[in-house]
Amino acid sequence: MGEMWRRVWYLLNRRRMQESLREEMEFHREMAERAGAERRMFGNADALGEQAREAWGWTWIDRLAQDIRFGVRTLMRSPGFTLAAVLVLAVGIGVNVAAFGVFNMFVLKPLPVRDPDTLVRLQRSAPGSFASNVAYPSIEFYRNHAKTLSAVLASTDREVVLENESKLVRTRFVTGNFFRELGAETGIGRAIDAQRDERKGAEPVVMLSHTFWEERYGSDPAVVGSVVHLNHKAATVIGVAPRNFSGLGLPREPAFWVPLVQQPYFVEGSTVLTDTSLGGMVDLWARLRKGVSPKAAEQELTALTNDLRRQSPDSVWKDERIVSSPGGYLQTVRKDDVPMISLVAVLVLLILTVACSNLGGLLLARGVTRGHEISIRFALGASRGRIVRQLFTESLLLAAMSAVAGMGLGYVCLKAFLAKVDAAPWLDPAPDWRVAAFAGGVGLVAAIVFGLAPALQLTAKRKSGTRARQVLVMAQIAASCVLLIVAGLLVRALRYAMSTDPGYDYEHVLVVDPDLAVHGYSAAAAKSYLDVVQARLRQLPGVTSVGLTSMAPLGHKNVTAMVGYRFSIYMSRVEPGFFETMGIARLSGRDVQRGDTDEVVVSESLTRQMWPGEAPLGKQFLLEPSDPTSRKFTVMGVVANARTMSMHDPDATEMYQMSDDASLPHMVVLVRTQGRPEDIAAGARAIAAGVDAGLFPNVRLLSDAFHDEVGTVEKGATIASLMGGSAVLLAAIGLVGLVAYAVSQKTKEIAIRLALGAKKTHVIAAMLQQFVGPVALGLIAGAGLAAAASQLLRRILYGVSGLDPLSYAGAIGLLAAIAALAAIWPARKALRIDPMQVLRHE
Amino acid sequence: MKSTPKSTMQAGALAMLILRVLRSGPLHGYAIAQRIHVLSKEVLEVEEGSLYPALQKILLKGWASAEWGISETNRKVRFYRLTAAGRKQLEAELEDYDRLTEAIKAVLRTA
Repeated sequence: MGEMWRRVWYLLNRRRMQESLREEMEFHREMAERAGAERRMFGNADALGEQAREAWGWTWIDRLAQDIRFGVRTLMRSPGFTLAAVLVLAVGIGVNVAAFGVFNMFVLKPLPVRDPDTLVRLQRSAPGSFASNVAYPSIEFYRNHAKTLSAVLASTDREVVLENESKLVRTRFVTGNFFRELGAETGIGRAIDAQRDERKGAEPVVMLSHTFWEERYGSDPAVVGSVVHLNHKAATVIGVAPRNFSGLGLPREPAFWVPLVQQPYFVEGSTVLTDTSLGGMVDLWARLRKGVSPKAAEQELTALTNDLRRQSPDSVWKDERIVSSPGGYLQTVRKDDVPMISLVAVLVLLILTVACSNLGGLLLARGVTRGHEISIRFALGASRGRIVRQLFTESLLLAAMSAVAGMGLGYVCLKAFLAKVDAAPWLDPAPDWRVAAFAGGVGLVAAIVFGLAPALQLTAKRKSGTRARQVLVMAQIAASCVLLIVAGLLVRALRYAMSTDPGYDYEHVLVVDPDLAVHGYSAAAAKSYLDVVQARLRQLPGVTSVGLTSMAPLGHKNVTAMVGYRFSIYMSRVEPGFFETMGIARLSGRDVQRGDTDEVVVSESLTRQMWPGEAPLGKQFLLEPSDPTSRKFTVMGVVANARTMSMHDPDATEMYQMSDDASLPHMVVLVRTQGRPEDIAAGARAIAAGVDAGLFPNVRLLSDAFHDEVGTVEKGATIASLMGGSAVLLAAIGLVGLVAYAVSQKTKEIAIRLALGAKKTHVIAAMLQQFVGPVALGLIAGAGLAAAASQLLRRILYGVSGLDPLSYAGAIGLLAAIAALAAIWPARKALRIDPMQVLRHE
Repeated sequence: MKSTPKSTMQAGALAMLILRVLRSGPLHGYAIAQRIHVLSKEVLEVEEGSLYPALQKILLKGWASAEWGISETNRKVRFYRLTAAGRKQLEAELEDYDRLTEAIKAVLRTA
């Protein structure tokens, strides 16, 4: 350690130490001269000093500084080139930084809460079943008995009516320890507190989110202490959450934070605190005790779940386990996300590839004008390694500047993106050390890719500029080709989603969700409520039919998907009239009927998957194919495919059952209209609310939900088109540059040929021939890569055929045209040369 | 001129010689070279080009410390002084060297 320290000390005092050494050696020399009768050979004093200093181990720093100084001077001498190079590369790096920035923000960066690493999210899992949330009574049980947890946090979302506000506002009901555990008690006023707000008879209170406080109350601090009405219930505003409070990465910031134990006060009939059925579910997080691993906590909680099952067998599944995932992060990567993430990674890396090959071409073109300088330095005795190092240092400088610029570009893109999607204010796109390290890494890789090869080539004894150019052309064409094809496929997928029928008539359907389960409705009460509402809705002018389903189409509700088959089965409970209302055609058999228990109606796609080529009516299948004692269903009817659950799944494997007592309070009313459903929305809401004043029904258009769903694809397609477009632009610039350069190199040859009477067309053809092969190879390679990538795409998007001829032909045609134009433009210039002038000039 | 080209004298061997001549007291660089020259009966000639890198290495290793003093010609010059670590290093190297030469001698005698 001492030695290391001394080395560093030498580095820090380099000037002084160098001076001492010089003096010392001078003294030595004088003494030697004085003593030496014979005249001794002294070496170059500077060289000797440098030799001695080498022992300190820092000479590389001096050399590096020298290289950098030289590199900076060289780059400053050609500012045009430097600017172009930095711009091109900054785009390539910026796209990557922006993509990584999103990943960083969602996956790597912890949420701005205290100790994010000891937070876990807890969810229920059993063979064939999964629930993202847990019943409140179970949560209380865990809180009272778990020894591996130091705190249990729960929250649940609701929309409520706020006085003088036409839209429902989002409210998050949280346990009293929520703010303290997350370290967010320092807002304005006070935070929700377990001692004060969870005791019996506590006064109803609400907290405002910072954004809502700004938007609705104009940041007025006097709002603290005032009374607001949620669902017509009075409550005191106790405070405002801090600006950067993220909650626990909830998808959208609520307007209000309210103690969970007070939910029955605000939501009339709410049974959330006692309900153990799937309807009354709450999101659960916990804080691990010091030194406890998530696995240990899972084990303890699973044991506790077994105890719970003994107490109330109905509320716990067979073999239920509690599984944990990191809770202090916005998003954890699941296996399903991997294809999407890899696809984006490949696309952004392709843009970098195009930028790099573009820059490689620029450097190569410039290298020839530097050939003179390089040969002088060779002549002066510089080694090839030394010159390559110098050239590479220049590339590194370019890469470093581009990385900084790219980081700025990435930040601007992310900021614009977050503003566009109206993200919560605590989502901070500012680059942190991870982003900086990533940008640096990408820059380094880019420098190696675009810098090292040309450097090696320029210093090679035997120069083969043509080969290098051909490789660069090929790489650019191939990468742009992939980008264009993928962009084309994405755009086509969007077209498909927008134009093809999802299987139901979303344009004329209104969804009325009274949320009966939340208000503690029993099956009987729900039935009578739904009967009255349906009858009244039918009388509204323009209404042609009314139906019921437990799963609102495109509602992102809990989807129970059966596993064990090669595919998922989306299950929903419906009542007769559902198919008619949704406009889903019945193909064979009958509709669901009152009294059905194991008789089901399935989609055509399900029958095709289950019994290909066979008649499906009367067929039977098991809920869990591996368990012969599991429930057996009989197919009574087949309906057309309808993607009501997941637009992303091209196979609408759906199964419809008659509603039962348990599902009635979860039912959503669907209303089909002749005209625009907007026109009857207000009337429908009035009817649904009129039957029970304690309800605050949510009425929405199915077309809105549909467009939201499609919007995700639209965003993806826009981004893909932008990426494809920028790749094509970069490639075009690069190709024009390379070809123009190749032609300019051969100006003399052209002139001679023309002077000797060669036909102009022949000369040009000969010039361009060297690029035909690489362009063709690049197109083939690009199409092949895209075909591989489209397999990935198929898993993410619906309606994308792996080999969409239009996308492929379009991309190949466009690139071929660009390559041809890129070649013709400089070639025409070459033809205008006056041969005599060129030759005389030589 | 009988001088051993520096390439034939290993850096390690030079370091050992330097440590050895420093054992009897602090010396400056020129004196170290002189002392080695004289003690080797003028066989070994240590040049600046190899002496100073070796001295720097010794300083870095902490085998010697350097301090400014006044030379016999009344000039400010750096004197090198053996440290405890250097003494230990010298002992170890001498022991190694003895063992090695004994072994070589034994082979030469019997082979």
